[in-house]
Amino acid sequence: MSEDANTPPAELVPRLNESAPTPEARWTYEGAIPFGDLTTTRAAELPQVHRFRLGNGLRLLLLVDRAAPVVSYFTWFRVGSRHEKPGKTGLAHLFEHLMFNETEGLKAGEFDRKLEESGAESNAATWFDWTYYYEALPKDRFGLAVELESERMARLVLREPQVVSEKEVVTNERRMRVEDDPEGIANEILYKTAFTQHPYHWPTIGWMEDIQAFTPSDCETFYATYYTPNNATVVVVGDVSEEDVLTRVRDGYGSIAASAVPEEDTQPEPPQLEARSVELKKPTASEKVLLGYHGPALGDADHAALSLLNEILFGGRASRMHRILVETRELCTDVRGWVSTFRDPGLYELNFTARPEVTTEAILAVVDAELARVREEVVTTAELERAKARLELGLLQSLETASGKAEQIGFYDTVLGDPAAAFRRLEAYRRVTAGELRTAARRYLIDARTLVRVIPDGGEEGDEDDDGDEGDDEVAA
Amino acid sequence: MSGPERLELPGGAIGFVESATAVPLVSIVLSFRSGGTSDPIGKDGLTRVTTRMLRRGCLGMTSQQIDEAVDALGAEFSMDVGGSTTSLHAQVIRRNLEPFCDLLARVLGSPTFDQEELGRLLRESTAELLEARDNDRALAGLAFRRKLFGAHPYGRSSAGRPSTLATLTRDDVVATYRRIFVREDVVLGFAGAISAAEARAIGAKLAGAIPEGKRVVVEVPDPPRPSGRHLRFVDKPERTQTQLLVGGLGTWPHDEDHQALATATAVLGGTFTSRLMREIRSKRGWSYGTGARLAIERKRHAFTMSAAPGAADCAPCIALELSMLEEFVKDGIDHEELAFIQNYLVRSHAFDVDTAPKRLGQALDIELFGLPADYHTGYVDQVRAVTRESANAAIQRRLSAKDVVIVVVGTAADTLEAVKAAVPDLASVEVVPFDAD
Repeated sequence: MSEDANTPPAELVPRLNESAPTPEARWTYEGAIPFGDLTTTRAAELPQVHRFRLGNGLRLLLLVDRAAPVVSYFTWFRVGSRHEKPGKTGLAHLFEHLMFNETEGLKAGEFDRKLEESGAESNAATWFDWTYYYEALPKDRFGLAVELESERMARLVLREPQVVSEKEVVTNERRMRVEDDPEGIANEILYKTAFTQHPYHWPTIGWMEDIQAFTPSDCETFYATYYTPNNATVVVVGDVSEEDVLTRVRDGYGSIAASAVPEEDTQPEPPQLEARSVELKKPTASEKVLLGYHGPALGDADHAALSLLNEILFGGRASRMHRILVETRELCTDVRGWVSTFRDPGLYELNFTARPEVTTEAILAVVDAELARVREEVVTTAELERAKARLELGLLQSLETASGKAEQIGFYDTVLGDPAAAFRRLEAYRRVTAGELRTAARRYLIDARTLVRVIPDGGEEGDEDDDGDEGDDEVAA
Repeated sequence: MSGPERLELPGGAIGFVESATAVPLVSIVLSFRSGGTSDPIGKDGLTRVTTRMLRRGCLGMTSQQIDEAVDALGAEFSMDVGGSTTSLHAQVIRRNLEPFCDLLARVLGSPTFDQEELGRLLRESTAELLEARDNDRALAGLAFRRKLFGAHPYGRSSAGRPSTLATLTRDDVVATYRRIFVREDVVLGFAGAISAAEARAIGAKLAGAIPEGKRVVVEVPDPPRPSGRHLRFVDKPERTQTQLLVGGLGTWPHDEDHQALATATAVLGGTFTSRLMREIRSKRGWSYGTGARLAIERKRHAFTMSAAPGAADCAPCIALELSMLEEFVKDGIDHEELAFIQNYLVRSHAFDVDTAPKRLGQALDIELFGLPADYHTGYVDQVRAVTRESANAAIQRRLSAKDVVIVVVGTAADTLEAVKAAVPDLASVEVVPFDAD
């Protein structure tokens, strides 16, 4: 530990700035955010996420956590598939692969090799709103993460061989996750059908023909546009000293110039005014049913209420849908619900896997009755309290490792601008009433929904009006 | 870190506790030393069904009341039945630890095995087995295990088959409960926001709820080695991608060359820059994931290489994997590869022990699988002690490119002939439908 480990960041920053070589390498301290439950613990007693900004716009969120001799290093870029254009879908996700390839200072394979030699884990993820890269390292290897991440933020090599090879890997990934997975293809079609204007229409992995058509030039343009320090946030959680982190990050990134990130050009999704449905046939043992209701954005006040309602309907074996569809009526093997956690309004997804020989119609009859019930009646106090307890447990489980904390901090900061928003949501859950759940049900669980039905090959025929889009064996009904 | 503290509990039960206060959660594990391999012949799935029945009714509580009580306490509760062990995993918000453990004791000690609930669970389990056929990777794993181990207990599935689940009765379930869930056989684990004193008291309460009984001894013979190259093709329509497993018999922790073989296997396919990743994913882009692994059980278990190439790349991918295995057996690994992988394994060990539940899991492994006492605590030293000579000797002694099982899940009409042509000296070829029992 540094001898300056206890120096408050507000005092550390001016001292470090004295030796900053350029204005881009000067830190600004933007304050501390208590990372914990403010309803049970005073802010001063909670761990603090310190927020800094480098002169070139790079943001840093730092939580010192000495629970284990490890450090987690996340780099969140505020770019996802929503920033792509039709015909170029999948580019953000392709970068998740390309970024592990060659840089000006590292030959192909050297990035991973250096990490592995240090005992580090690394991976990445891309979704509609964001992309992140992470490393989990033994604490004495922290400097390597800074060295490698700053290198690939500025000096990635995007030539034909790298792009061709990763395109091949991604097409195989798409086959695995979409083409050969009935649930994967159904989920893709759900979003494609529910969204007609907003970029949530296309899948993050991209359409197959778009992936196959990418050129190095496409990649270079995307990289220059979005992989800039002023479009990124570094999150560090672990057994580190603040001074060491600030010094290394400044030295690693301080020479990278900021660039102008274009203003987003996104069309809001118009209200869905009619029910939509799609049927497709796949070699599967039983029917699968997906329902999508347009839902609130993560930052919307309704999100907490709808999330609690989802717990009551789908959370665990005691939930209403599990109890009636899996246990009592024996119509399904699996039922799931999820309120999408996107920056813009997304979907409330309902997912049902039928038992063999059970039809979608039989399932929908029960589902619709249960949804009508939550629109008409308030849920019981016991149900609401169980839902709150389940969501609290889920949050605590996500905080067991340094990487878990770093992911929560980075996700909520990227989507909502608040690194401790996970706890603010927990506090919001506690305030939600049964009446607010019913209001949310009435607002979102409406007739204008999207239905995707997967029928086993050889099953009932669908409507013959092919919608002529990208789907395989896909029929709009 | 000193590792979990061992607890001697009443009636021959034992426990472990690893305290950590960083997060107000407590993890609880109750494990028994029997699993799916001890199911009677023709009754595959019995132990799993019996275990799942525990939360479907106990003295004074219905299945629904148990589920609601678990949720109300901010807890989770799941069952895991492997080949050799049966475990109940739970996690609870610290403030509800005591009432949750009271509930656990009740569930564990007074199951009702209601006939109607059993019928419901059997129908649900059968539907789940049919549903699992959508998962090609799981189909490949099942086919590989059945082909490699044949009639040996490791060839069986803890989940059972539709045909075996159909034979299970309430008497079977009650008898299995009495045989497996006995006090002298239970190993309890606690991790997280719980002190040793609390764990001892709660452990005594939980052990006391379990019926008295002697420790269960399950004898499993040594599995046979495959002889020759055998292809099992799982035929499923419309596969644009295939699932591929190639392998044979591997090692167990009491082999003197176990750690040497595990270290060498990591060179072949244990990291993102391993030989398999480099050749199959990085150079050729054939498969999103690929790797090699050794499964750990009470006897020698499987060595497998896996990949998921597109249908058109399946045959060349198998040919490449076999040639890489031949080279691996013939030439072994070099000094540079060994030094690299030792650094990786030693330094990444920090992530094997970075949470209290992980440290607890290691202590439970030792006890449940009969591993050498220093298997985890001495891991770093054992890896450092591996030499190129010991690694290569282990590869040559344990692995073979001539005696392997090859499993492909794909569409036979598109892929089978090319696969057969890509594998010289095939001793047998079987094509099985993906929806076979």
